[in-house]
Amino acid sequence: MIASLLGALVGSVASSGAFSIPHIDYTAILPELILIGGALLMLAAGALSVRHLPTFAYTVLSAAAGVAALVSGIVLWEKIHGKGRPFTAIAHALSIDGFSTAFVILSACVIIVSSFIADGYLRREGIAGPEYHALALLGASGAMFMAAANDFIVIFLGLEIMSIPLYVLAAMDQRRAESGEAGMKYFVLGAFSSAIFVYGIALTYGATGSTNLAQIAGYLANNVSTNDGLLLAGMGLVLVGFLFKIAAVPFHMWTPDVYQGAPTPATGYMAAIAKVGGFAALLRVFFSTFHSLTATWQPVLWVVAVLTLVLGAVLGLVQRNVKRMLAYSSINHAGFILLGLQAASASGISASLYYVFVYAFLVLGSFAIITVIGRRGDRDHAIESYRGLARSHPMLALAFAVLLLAQAGAPFTTGFLGKLYVVEAAVQSHSYALAVIAMLTGAVAAGFYLRVVFVMYGQGSGAGARADDGAGVGAGVGSAAVPGEALAGHPELAMASAPGGALEVAPGGAGGAVASGATATAGTLVAAPTEPDAGETAPAGAGGAPSPARALPFDLAPTTAVGIAVTVLFTVVLGIWPGPLFAFVHAASLLF
Amino acid sequence: MLHAAFLIPLFPLAGFAVLALAGRRLGNPVAGWLGTAMVAASFVVTVIVFAGLFQQAPAHRSFDQTWWTWFSVDRLHVTAGILVDPLSMTMALFVTGVSTLIHLYSIGYMEHDPQLPKFFLYMNLFVSSMLLLVLGGNLVMTFLGWEGVGVCSYFLIAFWFDRPSAASAGKKAMIFNRIGDAGFLVGMFLVYERTGSLQYTTVFSRLGHVSGASLTAIALLLFLGAVGKSAQLPLYPWLADAMEGPTPVSALIHAATMVTAGVYLMCRINPILFRAPDAAHTVAIIGAVTAFLGATIACAQNDVKKILAYSTISQLGYMFLAAGVGAYVAAIFLMLAHAFYKALLFLGAGSVIHAMNDEQNTKLMGGLRAVMPITWITFLVAWLAIGGVPPLAGFWAKGDVLLNAYGFSPWLYALGALTAVLTAYYIGRCYMLVFSGNARWVEARASGDGHGAVVSHASTPPASGHAQEEADTSNPNVSHERVSQRELHPHDPAWVMTVPLVVLAVCSFVGGIINLPFHPNLVFLERWLDPVVSRSLFNHHFGAGTQVLFACVDAALAVLGVGLAIALWRSAVDRPEVEPTFLQRAWFIDFGYDRLIARTSTVFAAFTSAVVENRVIDGAVNGVAGLFRSGGGVLRKVQTGYVRNYALGVMAGLVVLLAYVVSRSVS
Amino acid sequence: MHGALAGGLLATATVPDALTFAVAAIISVVGALGVVLSRNPVHSALMLIMTLFGVAVLFVEEDAQFLAAVQVIVYAGAIVVLFLFVIMLLGVDRNESIAAEPMPAQRWLAVALGVLGLAEVILLARGKWPTGAHTVAGPLHGTGQANVAVLGRSVFTSYLLPFEITSALLVIAVIGAVVLARRPRGSGEDVDPSIGPRVDSGEIVAGGGGSAGRGGAGAGAGSAGAGSAGAVSPEQSIQAERAAGELVTAGEPFGAVLKEAEGVSIVQRRES
Repeated sequence: MIASLLGALVGSVASSGAFSIPHIDYTAILPELILIGGALLMLAAGALSVRHLPTFAYTVLSAAAGVAALVSGIVLWEKIHGKGRPFTAIAHALSIDGFSTAFVILSACVIIVSSFIADGYLRREGIAGPEYHALALLGASGAMFMAAANDFIVIFLGLEIMSIPLYVLAAMDQRRAESGEAGMKYFVLGAFSSAIFVYGIALTYGATGSTNLAQIAGYLANNVSTNDGLLLAGMGLVLVGFLFKIAAVPFHMWTPDVYQGAPTPATGYMAAIAKVGGFAALLRVFFSTFHSLTATWQPVLWVVAVLTLVLGAVLGLVQRNVKRMLAYSSINHAGFILLGLQAASASGISASLYYVFVYAFLVLGSFAIITVIGRRGDRDHAIESYRGLARSHPMLALAFAVLLLAQAGAPFTTGFLGKLYVVEAAVQSHSYALAVIAMLTGAVAAGFYLRVVFVMYGQGSGAGARADDGAGVGAGVGSAAVPGEALAGHPELAMASAPGGALEVAPGGAGGAVASGATATAGTLVAAPTEPDAGETAPAGAGGAPSPARALPFDLAPTTAVGIAVTVLFTVVLGIWPGPLFAFVHAASLLF
Repeated sequence: MLHAAFLIPLFPLAGFAVLALAGRRLGNPVAGWLGTAMVAASFVVTVIVFAGLFQQAPAHRSFDQTWWTWFSVDRLHVTAGILVDPLSMTMALFVTGVSTLIHLYSIGYMEHDPQLPKFFLYMNLFVSSMLLLVLGGNLVMTFLGWEGVGVCSYFLIAFWFDRPSAASAGKKAMIFNRIGDAGFLVGMFLVYERTGSLQYTTVFSRLGHVSGASLTAIALLLFLGAVGKSAQLPLYPWLADAMEGPTPVSALIHAATMVTAGVYLMCRINPILFRAPDAAHTVAIIGAVTAFLGATIACAQNDVKKILAYSTISQLGYMFLAAGVGAYVAAIFLMLAHAFYKALLFLGAGSVIHAMNDEQNTKLMGGLRAVMPITWITFLVAWLAIGGVPPLAGFWAKGDVLLNAYGFSPWLYALGALTAVLTAYYIGRCYMLVFSGNARWVEARASGDGHGAVVSHASTPPASGHAQEEADTSNPNVSHERVSQRELHPHDPAWVMTVPLVVLAVCSFVGGIINLPFHPNLVFLERWLDPVVSRSLFNHHFGAGTQVLFACVDAALAVLGVGLAIALWRSAVDRPEVEPTFLQRAWFIDFGYDRLIARTSTVFAAFTSAVVENRVIDGAVNGVAGLFRSGGGVLRKVQTGYVRNYALGVMAGLVVLLAYVVSRSVS
Repeated sequence: MHGALAGGLLATATVPDALTFAVAAIISVVGALGVVLSRNPVHSALMLIMTLFGVAVLFVEEDAQFLAAVQVIVYAGAIVVLFLFVIMLLGVDRNESIAAEPMPAQRWLAVALGVLGLAEVILLARGKWPTGAHTVAGPLHGTGQANVAVLGRSVFTSYLLPFEITSALLVIAVIGAVVLARRPRGSGEDVDPSIGPRVDSGEIVAGGGGSAGRGGAGAGAGSAGAGSAGAVSPEQSIQAERAAGELVTAGEPFGAVLKEAEGVSIVQRRES
């Protein structure tokens, strides 16, 4: 397939006579170059140093590269802002505009934060060497290329540059078999989806005569096709490739296994950067390049968004492993972000962009805390490991609670505003049903976020922490049903309706779940011990005492703590005072 | 001066933050003093702002203080800010004032509890949320406070989480509130939908364009929220269970402040209620019925806190009655008076419970008059105040409500009047059982059969095995072997607990002066609130003669109730004829909820899952929970762990997508 | 794509062209089927060479001689030989067990969906190329320039950036291979055995049965040319595979790794 594509490329340039190397605007690719250079420097340092450099040195180097990329990204942003218009670079292969620069900046932020977060993990596990950080830097450069790509070939290469480090990072923990399994699964399926993606590019090229996004858009704008089958097939295949990367249903199935198996900081990094790169390219290609085909892809995204939202929320509820639960949560979030694209409006793109920004920090922080709680060996990820955390580590519990509540959409956090914006965009484009579904799933998903919060803050056996799977489901649904029915969906619902749901679950057991789903009123009353199958609930009374005897204490490295603090502050400060980020995102979508 | 208003909710919030960060380090009782100081500072600021507002001309007493624009989407601009006007400042004044006293009291009440810092943490957060609720300049801010007090209430009710009954009471409160909150939310969005704003001032200025039906719907939905928060029919059962919390919590949250939020909301939206008479009538009727029902139940309870809880439900009913008939000033007046005497009753009860080593059953008390003089006197004042004996605060406030109710409908007045007699009677019964008669607690201890007090939960959290027994303190048959290990020497508590009692007693005594009906110059409260409610006030003009007549009737009703209580309970401990089972069991309503709804929903659940298993799912909301549960089970089976299966999933998605594309392609 | 191409080309091509195309296409397809259908992995690899040759002929047919040559040298010459090495090292005498198949319909569904997908693409293309450039190979005809020159020009002008960033991909592949192949430093002394098994090949499996997965990852990596294939140390893989097989027969001691419900988890599993 690649070969035949290359054959096609040969054809397109053969007729041009003059041979001149295109002008290379190094400032345009400076962030990417810094990251790649940083990675190479790190590898060289690792190879050449006589004694092993401490892990912290690589962390500093990685973070420094991230900061440098961030600075160069901001410089680029100012340049575009100053010029007032976007431009293309290196033979139109890259499109340097506000949109791409925003994602470049975000990628740089992700790499900085994730360097800090990984540091504690690497030192705790005794993993020496520059490889982790080098791969992370290279992966981030891939995401940047995806964001800035103005050509399908560049998107594909960016995709691979981003993905292959992720495969390796997922498989990196050789002490845990799951890690290798995760990497392998991710790799095989990723290769499969890449093949589909390339096929899509080839068909699109066949239909439009170009791989350049701008040229394709121009071609589509100027030609009315009498037979667009090939083009649509290409678009569909490309879409599948993107949807795989962002973990949208039904192309999501790798997500839980990989998120669970991968080393926890790598999971956080993967969740953030794959969404950043994937959505950057997806938004650009579909909103800009395939704009004239909006009527065709919009219904597809509608269905995919619904499936993604529902499946992520529903399956998240039945998880007992926190990493796996957050994997489904990330699927649910992907659905929310798709909402903005589905709206196919400027405000929708801006909302999606905002959501990706918010999500990247949320997920990094969440997995950082999971890393810490996973303890040495990275194994303690059952929800039970979090019992009583609020007592033993109040600050850590508070940070996790903030991040989880933000993911649930609690007011005064960025998560709330993100949900609000995408839903608002959906409402504006008259996708009312989708907005309602999104809110309902948000309320359901709030059930599992809050379950963790209550486990952390539940002081002992009797409190409402021990939530049965089914009960959680019923609770969320039952309590969400009333407001959700009547509204065109708004995020407060999640906040408003789910806590009650999460709280009610303890005594009722599974029977209570269904009962509570029956009506919200009924759901409230199931505390009465009349439930037939309350036995399904784990014995909550005497047997429910947590086993505080931990073999290993937590080991919260200062660097990790800094990373967590940054994400929490980002979430809270910009949730309360959202002006700057909104202005930034708005400008980014204007300079598209 | 006025610009300091933002400090009012900020002080308790700062207290919360400090306690959250360093509460354990500060320890006991420094954390308590810190929390109290923060609330007191808030009270001082409130007084200053209040005074500043007072100096303004009446027309300029309302202004929005915008802190920052929180978010703006489409037409919706939500600002973080507060609305300072006579109504909100009145509320803030009494919330901070009563809260300060209760915080002070709590230092003494909780002194042996190792979790005192956490207690004050929640209390401060609660006060902050409550202030946000009353000061909020738009429905979103109010809602934030609304949720905040709900959450704090949950944590505080379930504070002694090791009692299962406390944990379940906390959940019950949360859930009942949740139903109300759903109404609030939907109402809020309907407001936005109809007026394009959530800012109170803007909303009220645009009501002219909104249809009557919409207004009725909005008012009823918001009323649903108020019903949940203020424990009115049919969402009241949680309040009685909420008495599982520490007594100061009951005093602060479930008597003086949080539960009045519903009444406050009704007064706040008075322009809406004014234009939606049907909704207003509903409010009035539900209020009157709840008042009566709560009073009847209170007549037959034995647990001192349960009596007060049902009394609160009943008194809140009065306030809704007042708000429903358009007498907002009367509602606020009663709310203030009630805050004083109900807080006093609870704190008095707390002193008694404290003295009796956490015994709450009035049948096991008696004769405390001699050993607890301050508590006794203050409780007596509270009784007479709530009973409506002139010239105490309750007399004026209740008289105002009843008079307005009469102007609206004689039937509601009759119900209210009957309730007034009952009110004087049931608190009287409680008083007689606790303070007069024989000292039954001595016998109980002497006989050693376990009818005595329970060892304090606060000082020694019991093992979970005993939790079940101890929770059921209202049941006199429960035996406690450990009772005899501790000597019972009832006495008045330390000064931190008596000072609030005395202050509140004084307020209950003279509280009526803020709104005396004799002369237009004496109705301070009415004139003060005039800018807020004048346009919606339901004006009845009663002649002076009528007013005096009604005052006499009210006084007679109060005396009748007091007399009944003394006559019936002076020497008796058990009078089954006036304590019928159906009243003890609260008209079987709670029981009915548990039985009827829980049972039917269980049956329904079985039906639903049967339907789901038969795969005849009709996406009705009712089925969704079952669907999710079994659906989750089915869906996760797809997650086999095999790459080939996953790849097949990708392929299936691809084929479906291409099939769609085929159908869309031109040609 | 070839199916779609067939309609377009056959409509206008000369008879020899059409004939060449048909033969090459049949060779490719038969070879591809052989790859997936043969029971012996060595046969599969050889069949892959056949497919690659068929594709090379198609390149020649489209005047892309350079690509045809590269196809033969790189794919058939290097990559498939690497495959064969790996297969030989793992041992050809072991059949893959697909007895543990959680979805009974997996195979039939796979075939059905594959056919359906192909049919849909063909249906969509219907042999028409809406760009107007009738075949993508058009400009290669009669330009008088050498094939390599055209390709080189393309790579250093309009596709300069993609060409250059491919190097990043190669770096990543090398790092990835190193990371996956090496043993963790200090595996002996600072790892508490209660947390994780010492990473010896045998003990990995005892710890959780994932080495089989890693072996598979290596093989898979080779197939897509990402380069991490050869990195897996052969002994390790073999031991892992064997141990995995033994453990499977011993009664699924690690049945709960990375999957949702009950059942089996690891992906590649062989019987001894």
